[in-house]
Amino acid sequence: MRVRVGVAAFVAASVLAATVGGCSATGDSQKDAYKIGAVVSLSGTYAGLGDPEKKAIEMEVARVNADGGVNGRDIEVIFLDDATDEAQAQGAAEQLVLEDEVLSLIGASGTGQSMAMRTVAQEYDVPQVSMAGGTVITQEFDPLVFQTPWSNTLVVPYVLKSIRDAGFEKVGLMTDGGGYGKDGRGVILNSAPAAGVAIVADEVFNPGDTDMTTQLTKIRSSGAEVLLMWTAGREASTVVKSLDQLGMDIPVYGGPGIARKEFIEGAGASADGVRFAAGKILVPSAYGEGTDAFGIATDFVSRYEESYGQSPDIFAGHAYDAFNLIVEAMKRLPEEFSPADLRDEIEKTSGFVGVGGTFTFSETDHNGIAAQDLVMYEIVNGEWKLAE
Amino acid sequence: MTGKDLLQFIVAGLSSGALYALLALGFTIVYASTGVINFAQGEFYMLGGMLGVLAFDSLGIPLVFAALLAILATTAVGVLFELLAIRPRKDGDPLALIIITVGGSILIQSLTRHAVGGEELATLPSFSPGPSIGIAGVTIVRQSLWIWGITAVAVVGLTLLYRRTRFGKAMRACSIDRDGARLVGIDTARVVTASFALAAALGAIAGVVISPTVPPVFYSGASIGLKGFAAAILGGLGNPVAAVAGGLTLGLLENIASGFISSTFKDGIALVVLLGVLFVRPQGLFGGRSREKV
Repeated sequence: MRVRVGVAAFVAASVLAATVGGCSATGDSQKDAYKIGAVVSLSGTYAGLGDPEKKAIEMEVARVNADGGVNGRDIEVIFLDDATDEAQAQGAAEQLVLEDEVLSLIGASGTGQSMAMRTVAQEYDVPQVSMAGGTVITQEFDPLVFQTPWSNTLVVPYVLKSIRDAGFEKVGLMTDGGGYGKDGRGVILNSAPAAGVAIVADEVFNPGDTDMTTQLTKIRSSGAEVLLMWTAGREASTVVKSLDQLGMDIPVYGGPGIARKEFIEGAGASADGVRFAAGKILVPSAYGEGTDAFGIATDFVSRYEESYGQSPDIFAGHAYDAFNLIVEAMKRLPEEFSPADLRDEIEKTSGFVGVGGTFTFSETDHNGIAAQDLVMYEIVNGEWKLAE
Repeated sequence: MTGKDLLQFIVAGLSSGALYALLALGFTIVYASTGVINFAQGEFYMLGGMLGVLAFDSLGIPLVFAALLAILATTAVGVLFELLAIRPRKDGDPLALIIITVGGSILIQSLTRHAVGGEELATLPSFSPGPSIGIAGVTIVRQSLWIWGITAVAVVGLTLLYRRTRFGKAMRACSIDRDGARLVGIDTARVVTASFALAAALGAIAGVVISPTVPPVFYSGASIGLKGFAAAILGGLGNPVAAVAGGLTLGLLENIASGFISSTFKDGIALVVLLGVLFVRPQGLFGGRSREKV
């Protein structure tokens, strides 16, 4: 293994020498690009997340380079697919660090894959910005790892407060057995007492479940006043459809995992009235018209629509933030810097206005956004509206 | 927990159980003619749902015809898969065939993902729209009636096919002794193709009939395939009635366990059943001592 790495390093060094040699002949404008490695899920279960993430980053790379790059150098992002697989995410990260010698990693799309990449970031001292929402990514703190989505520790208390403010106390919980749901369930059970609500039923469903009536029947018997559903999967549609079919007329609350057009298309009329918390990107007027955030978000949305003929979803926004947090940090550094310098500079990010919110990192907070970046939505006639 | 809740769990169990039964029938039929488990069975379920929704939403074909088209197209995929991947392996080596079906499953899944995309599609409208039916405080979803009806038709139809038709007799002969069947002049290759066609059609039916509640997506075949496989093993890979009994039993076990113990264990039940049966009663709960398969 050692020998192979040595050979790879030698090949890389020769290639590098050749490129550098070539560059010096053509002048300073052809200096090596700054390399960033992105691990996204382009196949497997999370392919639907990785696709918009890659699109958003590609769009941003083109914009930054067209504006003259950073310190006169271009940015190059190398994408690798992890196939929604943890081992592949780790392998891809290793390849990016060792062979491509990237200055920073972006990824992954999923929480499990992000955690697998983290071992590589730690081993080679390269900063990593994850686009996945699992609390564990920045809660189990690592100085090298940052995270752009609204983590469950931030969103859950916000949703529970909104349930309590609406006058409800008894909550029936329905979470998926995958990483995101499990993570959310833990945070919900922990935060409920402080929020003044009681979790009277705690039901789990599995990815691929075709029938939710057993769990919902138990929630009905528990006397729950609202259903709180925490999932990012397609089963969310099945849950609200079954709720209607069982004739259960209780309000449904959820998190950013259901901020997906596919949920509305899948659930049809049953999605109406569902309330959930997410960042302000879905209805940009929530940022407040005329603010910096409003300008950035509407600019992002219109450029994305122009490039790809569709509206960006929240995942595209998380990728936009991850990429730009790194680029902004690079801009503050001198021309030559190491991955360690870049990490320090990312941590100094203060008041960066992105799509997901305004990021301010510190030595203890690598998620960097606050509850004021969140807003409650209600689905009305198949559209996201700001809830009163 | 009241008696009413228990009845509701039973209804839920029978409804997901009927779905497992349709998958289990597919496993059983292919096993009978080839002696192998077809790990691409779940992909037929996935294709049924995907094609049904695509035909209805994107092509604007009326619901009934969209559903029929999805089933026919999936059947064609099943036949093609047999002709292109299974038949060329002339010696019928079970291990090679099983690996071919695993490969076929990955291929079908990846092609679908590239052709249709990574996100789930919308759901189909209910086959017979209207409020659910309430009997003695127990709610029965209208779509469940369709699932039960179709499963009943499938099991009766297959039994008749096996018992009453020449072709069915050929299939049974093939399952008892393939070489013997060939010696008496049965075209065993055609029997294998037909069994893949039937299995694909059954998988597609399950996929279409559930898509009013569950939005189809390219990866949905794997988890339901495992359930169908567990149901088929539970039924003993024998006759169609046993496959259906296996499916319903699994559905009931899952839902009663999640009702009275915890829904966390719902998926675990299928695996525990699978392992338990394989260890304790490899011929399945409903498999007799007879070696006859089908």
